[in-house]
Amino acid sequence: MFKELDPILHSQLRLAVMSLLIGVKEADFTFIREKTNATAGNLSVQLQKLKDAGYIDVVKQFKDNYPQTTCKITPEGILAFEAYVKALQEYLKV
Amino acid sequence: MENKESLSANDSLKLIESMIHKAQNRFSENGTLYLLWGWTIFFCALVQYISLKYTSFSKASFVWLLVVFVMIYQIFYLSKKQQTEKVKTYTDEIIGYVWMSFGICMGLLSFIMSKLDVWILFYPFIFLFYGIPTFLSGAIMRFKPLMIGGICCWALSVAASFITSVEVILLLVPAVLFGWIIPGYLLRARFKSA
Repeated sequence: MFKELDPILHSQLRLAVMSLLIGVKEADFTFIREKTNATAGNLSVQLQKLKDAGYIDVVKQFKDNYPQTTCKITPEGILAFEAYVKALQEYLKV
Repeated sequence: MENKESLSANDSLKLIESMIHKAQNRFSENGTLYLLWGWTIFFCALVQYISLKYTSFSKASFVWLLVVFVMIYQIFYLSKKQQTEKVKTYTDEIIGYVWMSFGICMGLLSFIMSKLDVWILFYPFIFLFYGIPTFLSGAIMRFKPLMIGGICCWALSVAASFITSVEVILLLVPAVLFGWIIPGYLLRARFKSA
């Protein structure tokens, strides 16, 4: 019996964001946008979904009078990501 | 990138792999601090040696006060860099701690040497300690020139134990050349090409 894939992670942009964040301590919104080639609007929506699921922390602040959004993966997010990868590996064993 | 919801297991794994690769292939080290410290120590060592050997100036070691100004500049440089950085990696953080521990050890070493009055050990220990963060930074960044620089420092620590004259100061020149200056220029080149 296969485990069901986490619907929050099983989407291209959200999975890309989580894969980026799993390897770094924290990343700026512009860095994530550059690496994923996503539009700012789409990325904002997906980050909010990840935040609502408790998978990432989003901190909004001002630096030199410019707004800055920083994202960081949470321990819950790490667990969910690991479970997702494990489920994928089970699928691929077939 | 759009937000495709129908991913196959293979697509997902490929996406994860490519994103992790993108995050990892990011060179944040531009070599500036390696070059700054390398040339500072290079300059101070030569000035001190020339003053001691060829002039009657007895306060030659005052040239090392330059290090204090470099430290102040480094604090400003790092705080500015931290503000403009788009991403913080665990690698950068660990390397920062490695160099911080080196700085603390050097401070403690100077204190212990002066307390026990065993300055004869100063240079062998400087090279010994100096090799550790240099080698480790190279290993963490997977950058061989720094690892080679660290090994050179350890070899120089052995060499320094055989030299009891003022010439021991000159060993700082190859130490910073192989430990900081050459790797610094190579890091700068890698940063620009990345």
